[in-house]
Amino acid sequence: MLQPEVIQARRGGFTRRKFIKGVVAAGATASAAGYLFRGSGALSPFLTAQGAVERLVTLNVNGQQRRVEVPRQETLAMTLRYQLGLTGTKLGCDRAECGACTLLIDGVTHYGCSILTHTVRGREVTTIEGLERNGEMHPVQQAVLDEGGFQCAFCAPGFVMSMVGMLDRNPNPTREEAAELLAGNLCRCGDYDKILNTAMRAAELSGARA
Amino acid sequence: MAVIRDMIPPFELYQPAEIDDALRLMDQYGDQGWVLAGGLDTFDWFKDRIKRPQAVIDLAAVEEIRGIAAGADGGLEIGAMTSLTDVADHADVQGRYPLLAEAAGLVATPQIRNQGTLGGNIVQDTRCWYYRSGWPCYRAGGNICYAATARSMNREHCIVGASRCVAVNPSDTAPALVALDAEMVVASSSGERTFPAADFFIGPDIDIERMTVLEPGDLLTRIALPAPWEGARWYFEKIRDRKSWDFSLVSVASMLRVEGGAIADARIVVNSIAPFPVRMTAVETAIRGREPNEETGQLAGEIAIEGARALRHNDYKIALTRNLVKRSIRDAA
Amino acid sequence: MEFLRRALNPWGENVPIGVSWDLIWAAVIVGSVFVVGHALLVPKKVGAAEIDEDEARGLPEKVQRHTVGARGFHWSMSVAMFVLLITAFFPVVGIRFPWVTIHWIAGVVLILTVLYHIWHVFAKQDFWTMWIGRRDVEEGRDSLKAALGRSGEGEAGAGSGSRRPRAGKYPVDQKMFHHAAMIVTIGAVVTGILMMFRIDNFLWAENTYMFSDAAWGWIYVIHGICGIGLIFLVIAHVYFAIRPEKRWMTWSMIHGLIDREKYLQNHDPKRWVVAESGSDAVEAGADGD
Ligand SMILES: Cc1cc2nc3c(=O)[nH]c(=O)nc-3n(C[C@H](O)[C@H](O)[C@H](O)COP(=O)(O)OP(=O)(O)OC[C@H]3O[C@@H](n4cnc5c(N)ncnc54)[C@H](O)[C@@H]3O)c2cc1C
Ligand code: FES
Ligand code: FES
Repeated sequence: MLQPEVIQARRGGFTRRKFIKGVVAAGATASAAGYLFRGSGALSPFLTAQGAVERLVTLNVNGQQRRVEVPRQETLAMTLRYQLGLTGTKLGCDRAECGACTLLIDGVTHYGCSILTHTVRGREVTTIEGLERNGEMHPVQQAVLDEGGFQCAFCAPGFVMSMVGMLDRNPNPTREEAAELLAGNLCRCGDYDKILNTAMRAAELSGARA
Repeated sequence: MAVIRDMIPPFELYQPAEIDDALRLMDQYGDQGWVLAGGLDTFDWFKDRIKRPQAVIDLAAVEEIRGIAAGADGGLEIGAMTSLTDVADHADVQGRYPLLAEAAGLVATPQIRNQGTLGGNIVQDTRCWYYRSGWPCYRAGGNICYAATARSMNREHCIVGASRCVAVNPSDTAPALVALDAEMVVASSSGERTFPAADFFIGPDIDIERMTVLEPGDLLTRIALPAPWEGARWYFEKIRDRKSWDFSLVSVASMLRVEGGAIADARIVVNSIAPFPVRMTAVETAIRGREPNEETGQLAGEIAIEGARALRHNDYKIALTRNLVKRSIRDAA
Repeated sequence: MEFLRRALNPWGENVPIGVSWDLIWAAVIVGSVFVVGHALLVPKKVGAAEIDEDEARGLPEKVQRHTVGARGFHWSMSVAMFVLLITAFFPVVGIRFPWVTIHWIAGVVLILTVLYHIWHVFAKQDFWTMWIGRRDVEEGRDSLKAALGRSGEGEAGAGSGSRRPRAGKYPVDQKMFHHAAMIVTIGAVVTGILMMFRIDNFLWAENTYMFSDAAWGWIYVIHGICGIGLIFLVIAHVYFAIRPEKRWMTWSMIHGLIDREKYLQNHDPKRWVVAESGSDAVEAGADGD
């Protein structure tokens, strides 16, 4: 069985160079992860022979190059959690409606549940696990400790990543501006007041450090 | 609510780097292909397994249609793949088209604006939950509108422009672009076409399964804004349940050109009350030559709701439309 | 190819939602094949009957075949029909315009013309002239043989070609067309009236709950089948209307009259009795079999 897109790429006369960037010939769902919706084992023998290079992607996660086999339809949060073991990124709604999965792509906040892993190839992904540098906590993390910012803290990784993104856009926000910039995260415990205290403290700390 | 599922069913994925390759792929797959921009409309469909295209054509690598540049005759051109954040933050957009910057900045949440694209925001499908639950309504090729029956929950649906289907256009940038006389530049394998924003959106009377003129194989490449009116006043307001995340219940975008105290020209556009952004031409005509004050606003509001018809749960939209249109004239700055 | 479009309703029932639009093309193709096949296979000229001078005696120069009322009906119904077909199928095949309102208004016009026609037939015309009886069956058999070049009772003289049998007021093929068109039109009209309960119109309020989803689905299916059937019938009808040897009939649908010669060649004066010259050209009595 020949992979349809490979055949069509040839027939359609696409230039090879473009398609090295272009075609994602990832193995459908042969990875071992048990959460997968549908395994399509039949594809994998061929894939290994034909497109081993394209099936694997190299992701830049938290400054490391991670090679991983990713189904085309997999979202980044899934890959991080279930293939790379980076479970700091939470999945709340899986629908871009809660912010628990917030992470940084090239320094900008995104919902990891709502972007394909293949879309972020070649871009810098930062998760909550990547904030600590040389054993030193990120100012936002320190602020969480200082303020005791969360209750159950399921929303915390997402909020923390949003705060990191926020400080990049506006290092010195007012409380209103902070609320505005953190409006893409929900807290089920309704602990917004303390979360905003944390955000203001984080701005202070990172200002002091800069 | 849709059943939460954890995995998207498989599809072929292409990431072309050139428009031509994207168009070729779109032609090849026809209605079995799906164009992916930011994916914030797309992934719900996929996760709920309601839309199951054979191939997804991810535009992320098509650099040609990302970014903002000067356009012809003092205008501005925005690539379809430009993120809503980039639109809202761009100095030229903020300086010369504040209406668009405001509208783009009020979409959903910061994360969604970082990823969602202007093109995707314009082309996005309706949010009617009967339709999005995958029921066989008119828009899905069936023969019923579940939102228009006597027992439907239709607080978010149409008060004008319905034809069998009563779903509304959810986009915040669409009314702003109509008010700014933007043009949509559409590429397909047979060439490039341009549509005035007002004609780009279509109602269910013309095609009940689509929100825009785009057919399979059509790619929105850029949005061309003409030079803005000199010294124009503008107004944008979006009413929603929560101040973040939510789609508009009613939104209004207006542009006024005021000369010697009187309105010389106007664009008044209301969205989320019809399946398309509604340009209120009758209002525009009626207020020409008048002062942009309370009285004119009152008149405009009354004209705006002529012919509006509420469904069971959305009569508040009539009052809201009247008042927003009034404010959009009285308070334009 | 699928015949039905089906879907899962919110209660998980698999219900029909309409007929497959592929059938539009099937109807167009079948219609075209029929037309081309007929044009190629059936000879243009079947030997015309000689005119019997005795029969001709006393007959007017022109015989009326369609009254003003009948012609008015035919043309208004055909306009409505074309509007209905165009508004129904053009959008489906990609020519988009707001069609719903035009469609149902044309439908109402069609219903009015059909009601008029029914009244006219029963009150003013002879219902039985359209009836297919034993003699029509014989006539059909003979004309088929004649068309295929074999004469009915071996009466084809050398060189005179095969002879067509003479019909009553309406030849049997016309009667068959009438009945086919009648059936699909009634199907489309009845389902169409019901479907008007699902759209905004000034006649009555919408009522989606009138039937179950499945019942509604079948109504849409029947409406679709009838509509698509009409595509085929209209193709065939227009084709016959423009065929040279039938144009005298087409003209008679415009000015109402046919020549005495055509009358005698094609119609059996016993089955379609025309009043003697002097009195007004009136319509025939019954065929009566
Ligand atoms: C929780 C949530 C809340 C939201 N709230 C709002 C809101 O308040 N206001 C608002 O306006 N929007 C809102 N949105 C919608 C969101 O902004 C849009 O879905 C998003 O902008 C769509 O852009 P995208 O780039 O993500 O599109 P995609 O999902 O990638 O695409 C959307 C559709 O457009 C098509 N498409 C995309 N680009 C092109 C192109 N260049 N040419 C042809 N077709 C194309 C795709 O095929 C798809 O059908 C919300 C979305 C979510 C998930
Ligand atoms: S899990 Fe991504 S936003 Fe909720
Ligand atoms: S602390 Fe519990 S969800 Fe935010």
